[in-house]
Amino acid sequence: MRSKLRMPDLSTTGEDVTIVKCLAEVGQAIKRGDSIIEIETDKAVMEVECAMSGTLVEYLAKPGEKVALGAFFAVLEVPTS
Amino acid sequence: MSSLSDNSTSSSVAEASTESYDREFLLDLYTRMVLIREFEERVKFLFLEGTMPGTIHQCQGQEAAAVGVCAAINQNDFITSTFRGHGHALAKGLGIQEMMDELFGASTGCCKGKGGSMHMGNMDKGMVPAIAIVAGGIPLAAGMGLAFKMQKTGQVAVCFFGDGAVAEGAFHEGVNMAAIWNLPVVFVCENNLYGASTRIDKVMKNTRVSDRASSYGFRGQTVDGNDVLAVFEAATRAVRECREGQGPVLLELLTYRRTGHSRRDPCHYQEKDEKKGWFEKDPIERCASALLQRGDIGREDLEAIGKNVVTEIEGSIVKAQTALQPTADDLLTDVYA
Repeated sequence: MRSKLRMPDLSTTGEDVTIVKCLAEVGQAIKRGDSIIEIETDKAVMEVECAMSGTLVEYLAKPGEKVALGAFFAVLEVPTS
Repeated sequence: MSSLSDNSTSSSVAEASTESYDREFLLDLYTRMVLIREFEERVKFLFLEGTMPGTIHQCQGQEAAAVGVCAAINQNDFITSTFRGHGHALAKGLGIQEMMDELFGASTGCCKGKGGSMHMGNMDKGMVPAIAIVAGGIPLAAGMGLAFKMQKTGQVAVCFFGDGAVAEGAFHEGVNMAAIWNLPVVFVCENNLYGASTRIDKVMKNTRVSDRASSYGFRGQTVDGNDVLAVFEAATRAVRECREGQGPVLLELLTYRRTGHSRRDPCHYQEKDEKKGWFEKDPIERCASALLQRGDIGREDLEAIGKNVVTEIEGSIVKAQTALQPTADDLLTDVYA
């Protein structure tokens, strides 16, 4: 099943965050808790933990691009249990 | 940066022995710590998924402090807590469901969905809804201690706060009042070395918090806060002294936060070596290895505890997501001013 990951509410003022680095490769297996991207918020640069386990299908934003909080930033293929 | 070596001495002391304890009691302590860890981890992912609103302040790594202290008091004794209060609430006996409901803002939550993460509490279970103002619970605990003493109820107030609260004016006011009137209050400082992102040696000349007690004329003690039995034993003694009219007592529990101050804090200020050293002193892993050495507790017992806890938490999330939310009619209820 395809699942999209939303940008967590990690900024302190509701500001959009900027993608700094994509930390996984397309096709790579990711576990819940692994870092999937690095972002810059209004306050700090930080890694974002992936909220589910699966295989990375694609990133929906590139480094340098801004993403709104709650917007989708990646697609995962998640095994159905 | 100083190593704060005099503070870490008690961490190198051998583990409190499990020999004199009942198997069921020890398993209960372990279960409560695992429950707190799993609850916090699951809540973290609910936040990261965007399912749960707001920010959260979590206590992964500090489970032994909450569990060891709360195991030493009765249901009708009271605790005060802070914005980092989920662990205190679970240790004091609040239910998983009433807490998960509260986090989802449901009217079935322990504060009818009006408190949220930073104000967990249930007066029927001996927990004043948590106070998010740093040091805010300290004068309040002194007040409760005064009430218990005047009414001769035999109850004790236990006040949890962090190292960041020690330099607040409210600390002096509340602690001094408890001291002059010998109030039954156990002041529990969870010293996790950082007040938000500020390391204690930047804001304290004397970083041994328990030393503060002697200047007020009562007993203070520094304890390995990642050893649940050491915490339990120190708290038991402190509570006994308070019930005998020899309070208050200041316990400093040395511990470490495994996460940022809040979910929005990447925690870059914790140095790698320091972090590694403390992660090796993880309270749950230490408790597990002490239990496994006894001979009457096996790895399968501990695994079963972990599984049951996870199942219970998952069930609570399903219910909380569809629980009734407060309506506009609830806006003016439970309001006192």
